[in-house]
Amino acid sequence: MKECNILLVDDDEVYLFIMDKLIKSLSNDLKVSSFTDGEQAVKFLSLCSEEHIKLPEVIFLDINMPFLDGWGFLVEFKKIKPLLHDKINIYMVSSSSRDEDIVRAAQFEELTGYVIKPMDEDQLLEILTNIYADNW
Amino acid sequence: MWKTILKIFGILYLPLLMLSLILFFFQKKEHINYYSHLQKRETQIKKSLFLDLFHTPIHNGNYWANLEYPADFDPLHKDEAFMKPYIAIIKGLTDYDQFRFIDLKGQEFFRVERKGTDSLEIGGLQDKHKRPYFKKGVTLTEGQLYLSPINLNREYGEIEKPFKPVLRVVGPIFDINNKKIGIFVINFKMEKILDLLRSNIVDNNFYLLNDSLNIITTNTFKNHIPYELSKSVSSLDKTSGLSDELFKKDTTILSNHHIYTIYPINLNEPKQLSAFGSNAPLKIVTSSNWVVVHELPSSFMYATLRPLYLGVGILNLFAIIVLMSLAYFFVKNRVEREMYFNELETNNGLLLESNQKISNMNQRITTRNKQLSEFNYLVSHNLKAPVSSLSVIVKMIKKENELEKVNELMPSLVQISESITELAKDMGNYVSILNEKELKIEQVDIELLIDKVKNEFSEIILYPNDFEVYVDLKAWKQIEFSRFYLQSVVQNLISNAIKYRRKDVASFIKFRTAVENDKKALYITDNGIGINLKKHGDNIFKLYKRFHRQTSGKGIGLFLVKSQLESLEATITIESEENAGSTLKILFN
Repeated sequence: MKECNILLVDDDEVYLFIMDKLIKSLSNDLKVSSFTDGEQAVKFLSLCSEEHIKLPEVIFLDINMPFLDGWGFLVEFKKIKPLLHDKINIYMVSSSSRDEDIVRAAQFEELTGYVIKPMDEDQLLEILTNIYADNW
Repeated sequence: MWKTILKIFGILYLPLLMLSLILFFFQKKEHINYYSHLQKRETQIKKSLFLDLFHTPIHNGNYWANLEYPADFDPLHKDEAFMKPYIAIIKGLTDYDQFRFIDLKGQEFFRVERKGTDSLEIGGLQDKHKRPYFKKGVTLTEGQLYLSPINLNREYGEIEKPFKPVLRVVGPIFDINNKKIGIFVINFKMEKILDLLRSNIVDNNFYLLNDSLNIITTNTFKNHIPYELSKSVSSLDKTSGLSDELFKKDTTILSNHHIYTIYPINLNEPKQLSAFGSNAPLKIVTSSNWVVVHELPSSFMYATLRPLYLGVGILNLFAIIVLMSLAYFFVKNRVEREMYFNELETNNGLLLESNQKISNMNQRITTRNKQLSEFNYLVSHNLKAPVSSLSVIVKMIKKENELEKVNELMPSLVQISESITELAKDMGNYVSILNEKELKIEQVDIELLIDKVKNEFSEIILYPNDFEVYVDLKAWKQIEFSRFYLQSVVQNLISNAIKYRRKDVASFIKFRTAVENDKKALYITDNGIGINLKKHGDNIFKLYKRFHRQTSGKGIGLFLVKSQLESLEATITIESEENAGSTLKILFN
């Protein structure tokens, strides 16, 4: 099984810590990287496509972040998407259950899903199973 | 109001008044013409009557003038027999008061005087050479007759009583040899003639005037020839105010509301002379040119014009009443309508005012709702994350058996507790803003406030050349607001301007006041690093939003600024360009 990359984008460091633990407890093949804001994540993705570094298969994206928030990230992602050679599954992960946010999220076809925090082990497993089913 | 009423009344009434006056004028004129015409006819008739009545004295004069007297005519002695039948004639002619022959020297040589109706007194000859009628008489040639003025008879210079108006008819006498031997003088009693003349008066007054326009007879005086009896009776031209020129020809004139018709009499007109018969005198010499006058007095004029005056008066009175009430009701109606409209307008104003109040209230409620929903979101969102993390970590701790691994989780717990504490503090700040009731609203002098706040920044005090604070407060300086909030706003904005200044230029912040649509506005401009509004526009004023990695900050300053301003119905907007600066606009309500 080849190496799997998961990207976490969230400014909540405790959350990042927990997710890291959670994902690693599921499989040792999963490699987790994280950024605390959208801007860094966008820069990273651009860099990956330029340098032909392997892109993450999954991005768990928070909405509320400094500098560039989840929505801002999606707008920027749309721009660099044609340059990317692989499909990336982006999940919006937010503690907001406001309809407003959910409706807005549905307008981005780049999004694979919308998950409300806190994400538990079962939800995470289901998502990852769907994505990596072919590889496992 | 009465001024307007009178104005309208005047506009309506004046044409009517003019029309009625014109009508009245024409009516009156026609009236006067009618009566003038009538009076002319009456006067003509009077004149004819006068001439008819004068036939008698003139005929008599003619008779005596044409007699052939014996030579050396001596009627008292030699020719007594000749004279006898003539004395009988004289006796029969009761109009004769006296009959005399006077020789060419002025000495009477025959005199008959009437005493009572039936008896004559002959004799009592007098010298008359000084009398005017003698002087006139001796100059007469054949065929001429002289008529004296009509006077009251005087004996020895005294007016004879009872008053006896007389006309003296004088003519020359010739003997059979056609030698002029003297004159005859008839004292003709005029009482009967004058009485006849002045009778038959209906409404108008009649005057017979002599040469000097003195009244010989009139129906307005009981006695004939009144001017001889009383000096207070003056000539008609004086009492009527008419010029004596008017008495020289046929005239009808309206003067002082009297109508005068004046017909002078000329006995020598050929037509007139022929009317006296075949043996008419060649010429009538008279010292008196009589004038026949009729006067329609003003009292009569007034009496006949009275219905006309009354009619016009009633018409005008009626018009005044009707038009006045018309104007009154018109104006009253208009005033009432105006009052009604004013009231309506006032009510409208009140309605608009309360509408405005409601809309203001609505706005405040909307703002408040938005803030509450924002608060709700902030709390749920920002609290949910650490709490959910907390629960996950707690779960993990429960599962974990190794103490070492549990210890690994401890820093996360500390971090969570710190973030919750921080959040609670920020929320506390925010809630205190939402709870605006405790705010004191007062007159704030923005210049003093900026001055005070800027001195709290060490950067400004220490390096005044690196960071300048400019003010341009021409539009206004005072504002009703919370001093505390405004101070916090200014503090945050100056702090941001310092924090996000460009290090390579001389930085400044500028406060400028303005008035827009009757609202006070405050512009805050800096030349800092600016912000990409396309990217971050939505989030500028949101909580925990940070846009510049190089600078420290929690992302709460502008959020609090906006909340504070909105809680007092002020708004804040931003325009910005990266690497050029930002302008914030606060619009106060």
